[in-house]
Amino acid sequence: MTLFAANLNPATGQMLLALLLAACGFVFLLPQPRGRSVAGGIAALIAAAAVFGAWLQESFGKPLPDMIGTVLFYFFASGALGSGCVLVVQRNPARGAIAFAFVILSTCGLFLLLAAPFLMAATVIIYAGAIVVTFLFVLMLSHQDVVSDENDRSREPLLGSLAGFAFVGLVLFTLYQEHLPTAKLPPLPAQVITPHEQVQLDAVAAQLAELQAKLHSESKPTSEELTAQLTKIEVELGNVVGLPPTNQLGFEDDGSLMRRLQIRVKDAQGERKEEADPQAAAVLARSVALRDLAYTTFRDLENQPPLTSDANREAALRSLLALRNEVRLLSTAGDLPARNVGNLGLVMYSEYLLAVELAGTLLLVATIGAITIAHRKGARA
Amino acid sequence: MITLWHYLAVAAALFGIGLVGFLTRRNLITMFLCAEMMLQGVAINFVAFSRYHGNLHGQVFVLFIVAVAACEAGISLALFLAIYRRGRTLDVSTWQSLRERGVPLSVDDVPLPIAPPTEPDPVLTPAGARPPQSIAEEAVRV
Repeated sequence: MTLFAANLNPATGQMLLALLLAACGFVFLLPQPRGRSVAGGIAALIAAAAVFGAWLQESFGKPLPDMIGTVLFYFFASGALGSGCVLVVQRNPARGAIAFAFVILSTCGLFLLLAAPFLMAATVIIYAGAIVVTFLFVLMLSHQDVVSDENDRSREPLLGSLAGFAFVGLVLFTLYQEHLPTAKLPPLPAQVITPHEQVQLDAVAAQLAELQAKLHSESKPTSEELTAQLTKIEVELGNVVGLPPTNQLGFEDDGSLMRRLQIRVKDAQGERKEEADPQAAAVLARSVALRDLAYTTFRDLENQPPLTSDANREAALRSLLALRNEVRLLSTAGDLPARNVGNLGLVMYSEYLLAVELAGTLLLVATIGAITIAHRKGARA
Repeated sequence: MITLWHYLAVAAALFGIGLVGFLTRRNLITMFLCAEMMLQGVAINFVAFSRYHGNLHGQVFVLFIVAVAACEAGISLALFLAIYRRGRTLDVSTWQSLRERGVPLSVDDVPLPIAPPTEPDPVLTPAGARPPQSIAEEAVRV
């Protein structure tokens, strides 16, 4: 009932007008033996696109600080929707497949704007490269020798268009309703961690690895060397994530990352709530955890010097490894969208390993199934 | 400024156009392409949410969608070939005998055109092979 209780302001009317125009355009354009009006359909679709663009602009974002991004977004979005319309109303299925390839290319442009370059490449290769070509291949194989003009007819064009666009209308209306209370959505997040901090974190990780190797090797370092190196690591890590409030040095220090992120997150909790950045909050939590872990690790290393006994050495190696993992994770958690491919691989092979294996199995089963189905009985292989 | 809402709206429109095509078109291949277009709309949603939340889980999901779509395309094209071999057509309406019990048969308002009688393809004698001839004919030709 909330749907009907909603205020029907001009924006909703605009959206309804766009949908009605689009439905009319499809009814005119869908292939039929009689009564197909190409000019009227195209005019209706163009009008619908204009009204839809105006509605998007009006209701979701009037200010245009990012000119190039906006232009590119509208270019790719109109490309995807326009080619989609061509695919639906095209009589010739081969031309429909080409239009589908253009839908894919425009969608890939949108992926690129959304900072997903690997997905863009994968989609171009798999869809536009493999799937469309296979479709065209089957289209050529199934050359029609019986005259059946199913391409020139549509099933219930009026009802079909109305059903489809009623669905779109419901989704858009829900989006609009959800969008009203918050008034302004936060901008899409930028990279949280700077390249300089990343270099520092990677250097700390490298030094930790070096320390581990030294402790592992036969020629053990002297305890002065060890203390010097530990202090160096502690200071460098402190430059980025800061020192905990109760450290042995007696003063509190926020690292560069913490200082910047705390301002961002504090702003988000206060009056500038619309700029809440979930990634900044997550990275802040991770860096606080790393700071505390580093503090306890270094304190343990001081209290139980690793050179005194084998058990202490094992414990030190284990805690150093844990610390190094945390440093690496913080270094990669902050950098989205940069290094998309590497981080995607990290996520896939750590959190979704089982799903990756299952997808591989699915592909194998599908290959076998396709060969079995398409195999002609009695034909020589 | 392009926000999440813009991407969601475009994805919904793409999904809806694909839905219209899937409901109205009669060619199997066009119907399947429209279904793939609906999947693309869903993929845009996932990538936009992944960007909005600043993590990569949505993108991983889209990778799985692409993998499943590839499997689907392979299987369905094999099925289309099998169907085409039986019926010599890709029209879904010729497979109405598979419909649910109680659903009436859908009939075209405008009847399908009557197929012109197809002429049999001309058969040529294979080159280099001499057709079997009697010796008497041979003598006459000489």
